[in-house]
Amino acid sequence: MHIKKYLLKCLHRLQKGPGYTYKELLVWYCNNTNTHGPKRIICEGPKKKAMWFLITLLFTSLVCWEWGVFIKTYLSWEVSVSLSIGFKTMDFPAVTICNASPFQYSKVKHLLKDLDELMEAVLERILAPEQSYGNASKALNSTIWNYTPLVLIDEQNPHHPVVLDLFGDNHNGSAPGRTCTAQACKVAMRLCSLNGTVCTFRNFTSATRAVTEWYLLQATNIFSQVPNQELVEMGYPAERLILACLFGPEPCSYRNFTSIFHPDYGNCYIFNWGMTEKALPSANPGAEFGLKLILDIGQDDYVPFLTSTAGARLMLHEQRSYPFIKDEGIYAMSGTETSIGVLVDKLERKGEPYSQCTMNGSDVPVRNLYSDYNTTYSIQACIRSCFQDHMIRNCSCGHYLYPLPRGQRYCNNREFPDWAYCYSHLRMSVAQRETCINMCKESCNDTQYKMTISMADWPSEASEDWIFHVLSQERDQSTNITLSRKGIVKLNIYFQEFNYRTIEESAANNIVWLLSNLGGQFGFWMGGSVLCLIEFGEILIDFVWITIIKLVAFAKSLRQRRAQACYAGPPPTVAELVEAHTNFSFEPDVAGPGPDPGTYPDEQTLPIPGTPPPNYDSLRLQPLDVIESDSEGDAV
Amino acid sequence: MGTTLHILLHIKLAWPSSPILIMAPGEKIKAKIKKNLPVTGPQAPTIKELMRWYCLNTNTHGCRRIVVSRGRLRRLLWVLFTLTAVALIFWQCALLISSFYTVSVSIKVHFQKLDFPAVTICNINPYKYSAVRDLLADLEQETRTALKNLYGFPENKSRKRREAESWTSAWEGTQPKFLKLVPLLAFSQDETSKARDFLTGRKRKVSGSIIHKASDVMHVHESKEVVGFQLCSNDTSKCAVYTFSSGVNAIQEWYKLHYMNIMAQVPLEKKINMSYSAEELLVTCFFDGMSCDARNFTLFHHPMYGNCYTFNNRENETILSTSMGGSEYGLQVILYINEEEYNPFLVSSTGAKVIVHRQDEYPFIEDIGTEIETAMATSIGMHLTESFKLSEPYSQCTEDGSDVPISNIYNAAYSLQICLHSCFQTKMVEKCGCAQYSQPLPPAANYCNYQQHPNWMYCYYQLHQAFVREELGCQSVCREACSFKEWTLTTSLAQWPSEVSEKWLLPVLTWDQGQQIKKKLNKTDLAKLLIFYKDLNQRSIMESPANSIEMLLSNFGGQLGLWMSCSVVCVIEIIEVFFIDSFSIIARRQWHKAKEWWARRHAPPGPQGQDNLGLDIDDDLPTFTSALRLPPAPGTEVPGTPPPRYNTLRLERAFSDQLTDTQMPAES
Repeated sequence: MHIKKYLLKCLHRLQKGPGYTYKELLVWYCNNTNTHGPKRIICEGPKKKAMWFLITLLFTSLVCWEWGVFIKTYLSWEVSVSLSIGFKTMDFPAVTICNASPFQYSKVKHLLKDLDELMEAVLERILAPEQSYGNASKALNSTIWNYTPLVLIDEQNPHHPVVLDLFGDNHNGSAPGRTCTAQACKVAMRLCSLNGTVCTFRNFTSATRAVTEWYLLQATNIFSQVPNQELVEMGYPAERLILACLFGPEPCSYRNFTSIFHPDYGNCYIFNWGMTEKALPSANPGAEFGLKLILDIGQDDYVPFLTSTAGARLMLHEQRSYPFIKDEGIYAMSGTETSIGVLVDKLERKGEPYSQCTMNGSDVPVRNLYSDYNTTYSIQACIRSCFQDHMIRNCSCGHYLYPLPRGQRYCNNREFPDWAYCYSHLRMSVAQRETCINMCKESCNDTQYKMTISMADWPSEASEDWIFHVLSQERDQSTNITLSRKGIVKLNIYFQEFNYRTIEESAANNIVWLLSNLGGQFGFWMGGSVLCLIEFGEILIDFVWITIIKLVAFAKSLRQRRAQACYAGPPPTVAELVEAHTNFSFEPDVAGPGPDPGTYPDEQTLPIPGTPPPNYDSLRLQPLDVIESDSEGDAV
Repeated sequence: MGTTLHILLHIKLAWPSSPILIMAPGEKIKAKIKKNLPVTGPQAPTIKELMRWYCLNTNTHGCRRIVVSRGRLRRLLWVLFTLTAVALIFWQCALLISSFYTVSVSIKVHFQKLDFPAVTICNINPYKYSAVRDLLADLEQETRTALKNLYGFPENKSRKRREAESWTSAWEGTQPKFLKLVPLLAFSQDETSKARDFLTGRKRKVSGSIIHKASDVMHVHESKEVVGFQLCSNDTSKCAVYTFSSGVNAIQEWYKLHYMNIMAQVPLEKKINMSYSAEELLVTCFFDGMSCDARNFTLFHHPMYGNCYTFNNRENETILSTSMGGSEYGLQVILYINEEEYNPFLVSSTGAKVIVHRQDEYPFIEDIGTEIETAMATSIGMHLTESFKLSEPYSQCTEDGSDVPISNIYNAAYSLQICLHSCFQTKMVEKCGCAQYSQPLPPAANYCNYQQHPNWMYCYYQLHQAFVREELGCQSVCREACSFKEWTLTTSLAQWPSEVSEKWLLPVLTWDQGQQIKKKLNKTDLAKLLIFYKDLNQRSIMESPANSIEMLLSNFGGQLGLWMSCSVVCVIEIIEVFFIDSFSIIARRQWHKAKEWWARRHAPPGPQGQDNLGLDIDDDLPTFTSALRLPPAPGTEVPGTPPPRYNTLRLERAFSDQLTDTQMPAES
């Protein structure tokens, strides 16, 4: 009984709304709300009422639609960009310097001797087939060329191309006699796998390219079997390559450079990499405050067949990033002074959910093989790692040009006879590249160094003599000139007058933007605010309450009607019924000894079984507050 | 508890009838008024009432205070505040509208497979000199004569042109036609009216305006003698002299003029044959690890550069793309540049020109090409930047050039350059009757030559001057394209072939070149070119509208709400009250006046007039009581009187309603 009373009180309190029918509620709401439309619906004549009703409806739908638009815009995570240009003290970029030739020929000669002889024989055969076959073939060492031989395809008869092995001693009689020109014959590389049973030809339209590619493949094979330490020794040492160094007013030497072994270019030297010590800043624009270098590329000692381009290779990159010099490097020509003005073009992006970039590569599903160098993530590193991954999976050995994961070996002909075939398939595969591109994400911070390159002859005729003397003396302690125009390179790298251009992303639409726009829309069309929404919510709750009460009443009346139907005796009088509705004490008498308790299975669950909601409702209709307080006071 | 319910029940029984009882008279009155009142309009009798009603009932915040405040000063202050707020709203909204068409720029970076651009490669020298020699023999002869006359240049002792000597003697006796047509002159700076003729060496008087080519921009006064040439129109009454600070420029310009004249008469097919073939120009070609050859290049004949070859053009089946950065994966070509076949007067540098462009773009090789040196490897690293601008009404750019009133004479996508050239060419055809040689032909026109158009050169020079001075209107008509792709190039040079590789490389290259040339290749005949993407990062600079219509509206809403808590509903209210209602009130009053006037005219003069006077006064002071009291008295004469009553009734009812409403909580 106590609980019942309490529940009743709660119900009354909660239900204490502005009206007790839907209509009342609506009228009250329209009259009292702060949104602008509904009020006019109530206090105007019928025509205007209709008009205002329509207008209000229209505006409500407009507001809803535009809210949708704004929320959609907010969830599209757009960014706005701010651009700043100017000069400030910045860390000087890391400068990587390599020689175009990876090794000194004098030191790798013993490794490449056989290959070079073979190459020369091949060239002779291509150029002058008649004479060379007799004398050259005997010198050929057959250990190397067994694997990927070069062939000459005679396409004079397009339906029956004749394949001539450039290495074979025993040719059918017709072939050596025929002169072959570039139009009729094509040089190709035969790539075989599975013990030479499955072969394909890699065709080239030019012999130059074919022999270069072939030589590169064979050289890779040779170098991959040499331990790394020996390779480093065969490359150009820092003291031979870097003759003079000046950073601003401070002198520096080859000792300030970090050495790194690059498979394409041998020993590379990085200035200001920032790995062990702090990066050097540069506070002034202009060549006087930049890095000045004099290099000797030693062109005479180039490996003749490996590289045909002579010069120094250099690249500017961020501190602690791996230099992908083959992609982004530039050449510096010997006998010239190359001046490079630098503008740092930085792009700083926001990560998820604004764009798909990655901050440090930890969320990329590719293992970064370049992390052994302690370098930061870059997409180039990711793509190369991805390629090496594919290579190991497909060919079961790693390619010489990319770092090796632990426990794997580089490809060579002896252990992996099919690797060249496998590699060339993989390299041409578009699917492989696309999977790698899709797997790798670009990093959020992207720095490019925009270079303005200019060149002049250096040293000048007049100064040539003394400069060479001094430099020779310094490097080799010899009084003779050991340098020449063909090898010497001067480099000036400096910041331009405007040395940075930073593009920074920021969120275009933040939550404040969203709220102010939502408010603006609601205010514009209807003069509403968040409080109006709360009002509306309140009304909705009232609505629900009224519905509940009505439903309860309906259920009650239904049950009563059923109960009435069950009466055996004559129908009850009106007075009796009124009594039944109002008097609690009356009710148990009926319910207790009633004909069938089973007909009221849910009796216990109903809070006030005897009170029919309709009267209760109508009671509270008009001077509600007075009555409410009355009833409450009574209850207390 | 039972007693409470009893009470409640009683009250409940009493109440339901009461609203009906209250409503019934209201409805009755309403119905009555409606019947009596044919005019449906504002409910206030006068504008003042209307205003008061509006101020009390509107949702905007200022107005109510005006009415409610007591004291004149306070009321005045509130009027001022409200007006200021209205003014501020208007000002801010005007600002919002005026800045509506602004753009915001976003820069995006994508790492993706990139389409390789089209690469057009030209030899700097347009035609093999041995092939065009017989066409240009006269011109060469006269150029040499002029050089001899002015500079004492030893005639025809150049390196490898021994056969030319026989020609010289053959042409010695003939009349020089080129110098006669456009004489080369030397002026001394002091006396500009006198000039020395190159042909005769005699001094002669020059009439007409003298245009110093160089002096417009830079003042060159040091040289004592200037060289130029004279161009005259057909009737030779109008002449213009063009002078140059250096004889080199003057002679090259003069030569070019005649060269164009001669070449304009040669059919295209013959010109293509005179120029280099693809097999000849390209020794080797390699793209993305695959060999390519002359078949991958499409011919493009440029009037000034002869045969150019475009790699990766749309006419080939698919556009090639790069999925790896770096020089290995780009285009690598070795070009054969035969310096012996160079035209000595037309071009003075050796090498090739390369231009990177979109597949559907016209390569303006003369304007924006990169030059390639021989005996060098030129490595060009590219970065792709795409830009998109918003067209009308944000900027003046054009999407595809269809809205520019200049017909595109190039068979390529619209660009500003194309528009300017097309414009000039069209003007040229219009004014001079023939087309300039270095640009494509518009429909139904042919190139200028002096057989058909003897005075085209004068016309051309005049027109060109006007074009440069923006007098032709081309610059104002042509608009930039809205989207463009730009490849930023980083060019670096290295020695190629290296000393040690030269020995084997050159013979193999000679073999590759095959039977095209009979001689052994020299280092200086070759140039290596590498074009590649440095990385596959593509930057897109995109403009997007900074404001949308939703944003504008919500900004309006913010402004209206901030200053006055107003909304569109309020605006509608204002329109309703200030325009519709007040106009109908005025109209009604006018109608009454007209009626009265009519009635006075027809009715006999007498006490009636005084009645009307009373009515007028009443209209001015419509208090509740007077409005209630008046209608019964002059009800027969003035049918318009009912509205006040109805109105005031309604007005009062609205107030009383509100009052009870507000009082309700107070009571409880």
